[in-house]
Amino acid sequence: MPATRVPRVPAEERLFSLVLALLSTESGLTKSEILANVQGYRQRFSPGGDNASLERQFERDKDDVRELGIPLETIETPGAAGNNQTLRYRIPKGEYDLPDDVRFTPDESALLSLAAMAWREGALSADSRRGLLKVRSAGSEDDDGDSAGAGAIGVDAYAPRLRARDVAFEPLRSALDRAAAVRFDYITPGQHDARRRQVAPLALVQHGGRWMLTAHEFATDSEKNYLLSRIVGPVAQYEVGQHPAPAGAGERALAELERIWSERTARIRVAPGSDAERRLARRRDTVTDEAGVLVLHHVDPQILAEELAAFGPEVRVLEPADLRDRVTERLQALVVDHTPADDDQDGGTRG
Amino acid sequence: MADQQPLQAQDKLAFLLALVPYLIDRERVSVAEAARHFGVPEARIRRAVELIAVSGVPGETMQYQHGDLFDIAWDDFDQNDMIVLTNLVAIDDSPRLSAREASALIAGLQYLSALPEAADRDAIRALMAKLSRGAGGAAANVAVGQDLHDVALATIRRAMADGRGLAFEYAGPRTQGGPRRVDPLRVESIDTDWYLRAWDLDRQALRTFRLDRMSGVRVDERAAEKSIDDVVIPDTLFQQAAEDVIVTVELDSSSLPLVADFLADTADAPDGDGRVRIRLAASNGFDGVVRLVAGLPGRAVVLDPPAARAAVRDFAAAALAAD
Repeated sequence: MPATRVPRVPAEERLFSLVLALLSTESGLTKSEILANVQGYRQRFSPGGDNASLERQFERDKDDVRELGIPLETIETPGAAGNNQTLRYRIPKGEYDLPDDVRFTPDESALLSLAAMAWREGALSADSRRGLLKVRSAGSEDDDGDSAGAGAIGVDAYAPRLRARDVAFEPLRSALDRAAAVRFDYITPGQHDARRRQVAPLALVQHGGRWMLTAHEFATDSEKNYLLSRIVGPVAQYEVGQHPAPAGAGERALAELERIWSERTARIRVAPGSDAERRLARRRDTVTDEAGVLVLHHVDPQILAEELAAFGPEVRVLEPADLRDRVTERLQALVVDHTPADDDQDGGTRG
Repeated sequence: MADQQPLQAQDKLAFLLALVPYLIDRERVSVAEAARHFGVPEARIRRAVELIAVSGVPGETMQYQHGDLFDIAWDDFDQNDMIVLTNLVAIDDSPRLSAREASALIAGLQYLSALPEAADRDAIRALMAKLSRGAGGAAANVAVGQDLHDVALATIRRAMADGRGLAFEYAGPRTQGGPRRVDPLRVESIDTDWYLRAWDLDRQALRTFRLDRMSGVRVDERAAEKSIDDVVIPDTLFQQAAEDVIVTVELDSSSLPLVADFLADTADAPDGDGRVRIRLAASNGFDGVVRLVAGLPGRAVVLDPPAARAAVRDFAAAALAAD
């Protein structure tokens, strides 16, 4: 029967059948056993013929299955190491199943619905939706199914949104997943040329609304934080598999940023009754001293300078001087960029 | 990329693998209840059940014999819309989470841990640990710091939970503060910025308030007239109004993530220097756009209209003069 007349089995049926078949085998199945017998492949399998396209399909399917966190493993036949034809595939049930102590109460499930909702775009959204599916699958007995707990947690009361739109975000996350080192060009504020960095990523951290990469820099043998918005051009991976981030790297990176935050302060005078006074006074950890001066915490002086410039005449930086200079520089650049030149009305595009 | 599997099939597989253990656990469950539980349309449950019912393992004969397949109580399904699995194969438990899935949920939880509902830090930590265990102990490599510590939020939530109105003082960037009376509908956020969407009683309209511009927040004695079910809340936080003026801004393309929520339309493609042109909708006096542009990293320049350029210049010049 020519391949074109084979009835089509939907892709999800083929994938589902593959997972079921590999879960039910102890000793594993070879590729040809899978292609010849498993639903969705067997319909397109030609015994003794050319199955190259079907084999490619199987390779893609394996990747898809593994991406879902399913432990699809390969075992080599003793005495035939390196021989692809005798490789056997299986999914060990013990590693497939969610551990018994990982069950979720209705309240936990509701809270995780909100957590998943926070990611609305990109790969994190797909990941959290799938994760939530598994959480709901493993709901506990007392969950009666009609979104119990939603009222208590207030799922309807919130619409949280976390953004991860920096171009470098997904490439860096992929490098973390693959335990790879990366190289990228990085611009430090105030410098014109980007400089090449080579690092082993430890964690991606959002702090103060900005995404940062915490990484081990090889050149200085030290841990550093890189703002994703200052990475220019592509992120290239190398030495894949050789740089796994240690457990708890995310929390540690966050704690380190908190330490920097608590140490770095700036003293700011704000115009009474201004928007700056209202909002900056309520910025996290801000204290107002006796003289009505605000003491603000920050991680990155350039970001704080930008934040303060947005308040224009409502704020005046008292110290540190470096921060004051950054704000002044920024304001001067704004004046220049928005003043029409004598011979050029199109002021904005001049480099 | 052409030979990449459509995302859909992978998602459908994830759904099938999640649905089976749920159905086993419930023994007999209606299509409607399963749909509610997973937050999907009933048709999706029915299609999935029909597929599960004819799926299985090749078995010893490699022939997919009857006993090698799942089976359901067809009459109960067809006549009563009830699902009962009568034969099980290969799976009886929910799948583990992937490292990426667990880390996305853990980061989301970290973000939410500032909410009054998540005040029990130990419970949140335990839940994060559980997710990590559910992914085979995978390390969470995405983390989100906590920035919200607004006491107003607890008050807002109390008003919402009790079906009460809310009263507070509110001032815009350039307007004097004034009292507001609202029915709170939903608390929304974008990263570190938190907003209340509420029905403004005096204006008889939906309004969005920044939490950090609200003060003296208190629960009103009166019962709320409007709830989330009465008002259609647009998905985007910022809407364009007919009287808005379009302002064209040129900025570094790396700043795009910071303005993405305010764009009036799609940004142009970046030029060779990584500069990109965007358009923003500006209301009265360009104040919002001026402050946005002044706060962007790198060089952000208003190109048009001239009045908006002048507004940026005056704003920056006034700030320099005050120094």
